[in-house]
Amino acid sequence: MNQISKWSSLALSTTLVAGLLAGCGSNNDNKENTASPSANNTGSESAAPEDTSPLTLTYYSEDPSPNWANMQDEIGKNLTEKTGITLDAEFAVGDAVQKSSLIAASGEYPDLISAKQSIAKFVDAGAVLDLTDLIDKYAPNLKKLFEGNMSRLRYSDDDHAIYVIPSYNGIGQEYFNAGGGFELQHRVVKELGYPQIRTVADYEKAIKDYLALHPKDENGNPNIGLTLNADDWHMYISVTNPAFFATGGSDDGEFNIDVDTQKVTYHFRRPEEKEYFKWLNHMNAEGLLDPESFVQKYDQYKAKIASGRVLGLIDQDWDYGDGEKALKAEGKFDYGYGHYPVTMSEDVKEASFWPTGFMAGSGVAISVDNPDPVRTIKFLDYLASDEGQVLMNWGIEGKHYNVVDGKRVIPQDVNDRKVNDATNFTKETGIGLYNLLSGHYGDGVKDPSGNYYTTSFPEQIVASFNDAEKETLAAYGATTWKDLFPKEEEFKVKPWGAAWNIPIPGDSEAVVIEKKLTDITWKRIPEAILAKPADFDKIWDAYQQELIKANVEKAEKIREDLVKARVKLWSE
Amino acid sequence: MKSKGLLGSAPLSDRFLSVFVYVFVIFVMIITLYPFLNVLALSFNDSVDSVRGGITIFPRDWTWENYKVIFSFSGLITGFKISVFRTVAGTVVGLISASMLAFTLSRPDFQGRKFVSVFLALTMYVSGGLIPVYFLIRDLHMMNTFWVYILPGLVSAFNVFVIRSFMDGIPFALQESAKLDGANDFTIYWRLILPMSKPALATIALFLAVGQWNSWFDTYLYNGSSEALTTLQFELMKVLQSTTSGNNVDIHNSNMTQMMSTVSPESVKMAITIVVTVPILLVYPFLQRYFVKGMTLGAVKG
Repeated sequence: MNQISKWSSLALSTTLVAGLLAGCGSNNDNKENTASPSANNTGSESAAPEDTSPLTLTYYSEDPSPNWANMQDEIGKNLTEKTGITLDAEFAVGDAVQKSSLIAASGEYPDLISAKQSIAKFVDAGAVLDLTDLIDKYAPNLKKLFEGNMSRLRYSDDDHAIYVIPSYNGIGQEYFNAGGGFELQHRVVKELGYPQIRTVADYEKAIKDYLALHPKDENGNPNIGLTLNADDWHMYISVTNPAFFATGGSDDGEFNIDVDTQKVTYHFRRPEEKEYFKWLNHMNAEGLLDPESFVQKYDQYKAKIASGRVLGLIDQDWDYGDGEKALKAEGKFDYGYGHYPVTMSEDVKEASFWPTGFMAGSGVAISVDNPDPVRTIKFLDYLASDEGQVLMNWGIEGKHYNVVDGKRVIPQDVNDRKVNDATNFTKETGIGLYNLLSGHYGDGVKDPSGNYYTTSFPEQIVASFNDAEKETLAAYGATTWKDLFPKEEEFKVKPWGAAWNIPIPGDSEAVVIEKKLTDITWKRIPEAILAKPADFDKIWDAYQQELIKANVEKAEKIREDLVKARVKLWSE
Repeated sequence: MKSKGLLGSAPLSDRFLSVFVYVFVIFVMIITLYPFLNVLALSFNDSVDSVRGGITIFPRDWTWENYKVIFSFSGLITGFKISVFRTVAGTVVGLISASMLAFTLSRPDFQGRKFVSVFLALTMYVSGGLIPVYFLIRDLHMMNTFWVYILPGLVSAFNVFVIRSFMDGIPFALQESAKLDGANDFTIYWRLILPMSKPALATIALFLAVGQWNSWFDTYLYNGSSEALTTLQFELMKVLQSTTSGNNVDIHNSNMTQMMSTVSPESVKMAITIVVTVPILLVYPFLQRYFVKGMTLGAVKG
């Protein structure tokens, strides 16, 4: 009996639950049904130029935005008030590419689409509008923003339409600090009397000399000269990319491209790079290279840095930052790292800052389902206006910033919240939530009032340095690490932007070949570095032969065609 | 039952074997439990300190910070409610429909038995593929509804077969005698077969509950834009992504200062793992006794 009553009560509750669910479901349907026609109505009415009647646009973005507050934040309310537009946003979670493919295949497109590389699928499906005329007629601010770069917005050599307003790359973006190059701990250069660190020989000597003085740390563990991070994709950052930086090449993915002739070479095939890897081989033979370099996992690498025993790195600051943070938390600031423009010899320029020009790239597109493209482009245009830019980056005057003697200043209490209560601050104010919606200026660009558009500028970088960093910088006569590196102006702008930014068609042969090349390289490079110096040449030659067998020349040819097509598209 | 202690007065060789078995089992327990304890320890450890490595099963630098970061995200409470709700509803409804079908299929007097079984088995090998299923769900107007969590997976062929093979083991004579006593088919199912199939039902209930609890892909596909219907897993995925995207240099270059003050993605990942795992772990003790019974039952019958 007991059993039966239990089961029947279960059945009862199930029915109740099901009833409740039915309630939920139909409610939602209703909401949707009432919402969309009204949006359509207002859409068709909008003939007047200053139409601010309520209009809800759906917006899909591949990037997550967990603090999105449905435009109920202060900036969002302000935008709705000014333009009448509210965004009903969906941000992809997880595999965004898959989600984009689904939406593109479904035939029901959101009004605004920000789909990064997947935009190609929407273009193929005929889902997005050509914005050329819309920008020309209704978007003076966007026109001003992209002045001189308009041809870089075009989709491809075959299709000159503008589908996307680039919103990821800021116009005129300036980098205030260097985060790459070769790194040495501050204590190393300090103890050695701040020697010049310009070539791999200087770098090697500094490590060698310091190790001779201090072979062990205070706990008796051996100090490590140089360690590399070769765990999965970190291989690019710490092992293979430095090879072209140290030999005067700039970042074009796995290829080196001649700036004048646009001849493309798989960068490992350059004779200079053989010398670089030979040097690493030599470092290994000397015992200066950490023997665990190619077996350690990323967390072990970080733990090693956090122990303070690693004198030198060849990495980017964001890649080893966690380890350095742990050192700083302990107050060991002189165990932190400085960045040096190390190359093979003094006549080779370190090309970290080789300028690419405005690279266009990913951004936002207007779909064919959009009820009112004109008001939409005006909305995007407003975001790109001086007023919109300041609103997006700084917030509302008198609330999030004040103008003191013509300069925008963030009050101390607002700034404190920004740092210590970042999540809630973003949710309430909306600062930072709208930057990827439309074209915008980069860091370091000033508006007509002489203030920076964005809230990060050089003075902040300097203020964020700790004393050990400042001391080292001062000794080398610099205020930021970037001062040590060759300037942008010293290079000829690459007319193709950067090769890693040129998509290869999915059905191209290059995809398969390049995968093969990477497999070979990732196997052979560690082998060559760890070999006996006498065997290095032999292994290197075998490696080069293997590349040729894997059809490297074909891949170079395909890339070269793509680069040339890009140059043609952008310079016409 | 007489109990004489674990190693009681058994012969020496047996005792030796028992010691070996216990040592072995404890060893296995440690290596299976360790990863979980390690995650637990890391989730309560200061994220900067965690970078130094060497954390095993105790946190070194105790902190709530990682959990604070997670719970500072809105949507977690709604997500939790929806997750619990779909787990309970999905399990109960799924159990009822699977067992009903299984009961029908287990009756030798059901004519279309073979055909339905084959038809059902086919779905285990052939599926519609992502995009067709997506279209189907859309055309059925199940997008942005709660139903999408329950209805599409209502009957799973595998579950039906597990329950059916268990029911096959119950003598048909029992049903005949119940019939003689005046029970109709539903009464037989409800009062006789279901209570006798509890071990199988418990197993399937667990499958369903864990599946429902862990599932986030359907939210992602169909309900991603309706905040009131997202599940806990989905919300946590968002949290995880937002902390990892801090490493994305392209966009977050200007947010360096903000990045420095937050916890590291690894620590958040650990804390999320705990938040996700613990609730479903709590279900196990309640179903445990049925498992033991189910196993012995099966063993006796061979």
